[in-house]
Amino acid sequence: MANIAMQRIRREFKEVVRSDEQSIKLELQEDNVLSLTGYITGPEKTPYEGGRFHVQITIPETYPFNPPIVKFTTKLWHPNISSQTGVICLDILKDQWAAAMTLRIVLLSLQALLSAAEPDDPQDAVVANQYKTKHSLFQQTARFWAQTFAGAPGPLNPDFQKKIDKFLEVAPRADRHTAIQQLSNFDWNIDKAIEDVYKSD
Amino acid sequence: MPETDDKSEDTATFECNICLDTAKNAVISMCGHLFCWPCLYQWLETRPQGQVCPVCKAGISRDKVIPLYGRGGSKTDPREKLPPRPQGHRTEPEADYAGPGGGHRYVFGDNPHFLSFGIGAFPFGFFASSFNLAGGAGNPMEHQHRDAAGPADHQMQDQLVSKLFLWLACIFLLWLLMA
Repeated sequence: MANIAMQRIRREFKEVVRSDEQSIKLELQEDNVLSLTGYITGPEKTPYEGGRFHVQITIPETYPFNPPIVKFTTKLWHPNISSQTGVICLDILKDQWAAAMTLRIVLLSLQALLSAAEPDDPQDAVVANQYKTKHSLFQQTARFWAQTFAGAPGPLNPDFQKKIDKFLEVAPRADRHTAIQQLSNFDWNIDKAIEDVYKSD
Repeated sequence: MPETDDKSEDTATFECNICLDTAKNAVISMCGHLFCWPCLYQWLETRPQGQVCPVCKAGISRDKVIPLYGRGGSKTDPREKLPPRPQGHRTEPEADYAGPGGGHRYVFGDNPHFLSFGIGAFPFGFFASSFNLAGGAGNPMEHQHRDAAGPADHQMQDQLVSKLFLWLACIFLLWLLMA
């Protein structure tokens, strides 16, 4: 039955290429039809604006009767996306999938998810908690991540940068990604972030 | 795998919503969405519970789809291991001969008033209905359906049933006279 999957992907691929939508893009990975890379741009008026986010799409043999397996490979600060692994919590990629949905719809839905988070159905509890209790800090953090990892424009938050530098001085074995992750997890409280690193060592 | 790239808008209207190819063994849901029967069958098999239309998520089931019979299709149809498409359901047109046509329905009723009416009107009702079937000119749907379900079979069956009723009515009448 992989035949129907391959045929569908070929058609869908053409559909996305032809549709000429600027905000989404689809690429084949090394001529393997069942493994693709998708790109979406961050929606306007969100912390993700101007960023370019990559998703890895794996097509199961039973596609389109089962949903594609999609995860972000660009690091992202969002309640419904794991900040560590990029795993996405989105109903249409699980039980709400329908066989008539296409990769184009999946990409557009991911874009919509960036505009409208569902903090009550979180994938990343830490991010969801920050989203609900310290929303302005959440927005600054999400923006900082989009600028750092997805190439979103604009000057980086100087306060955050200072904290990252300080973190790296105290914990020289950590890299910059770890520093950002740790500080974000602890609402940019540098003492708690460093304490946690040493605790886990 | 045939590459049908430069399709016109016209054929795209008849693409299966699941395989995105021109629908084969087409069925249509009550919500109006078109699928190949093998595609839809597999979708329904994937989700035995909570079956929904793959397009609009309206309720859907094996019994709630209508097969589409185009001209000339479905003869070389390799239905493989899949169960055949569900049958079409034919709704009778509303009868425009109100009284006597309904006669034979009351023949065996309990109510003696209807009984006598039914028997009296029966022959007329029989002729009216058989004339209507044979005339057929105002009823193109009937012809289409026969094409799909085996020609003339339907008509013969109808006639047989009518004759059977006539005989039963006669026997009943005799019995009434004897009693």
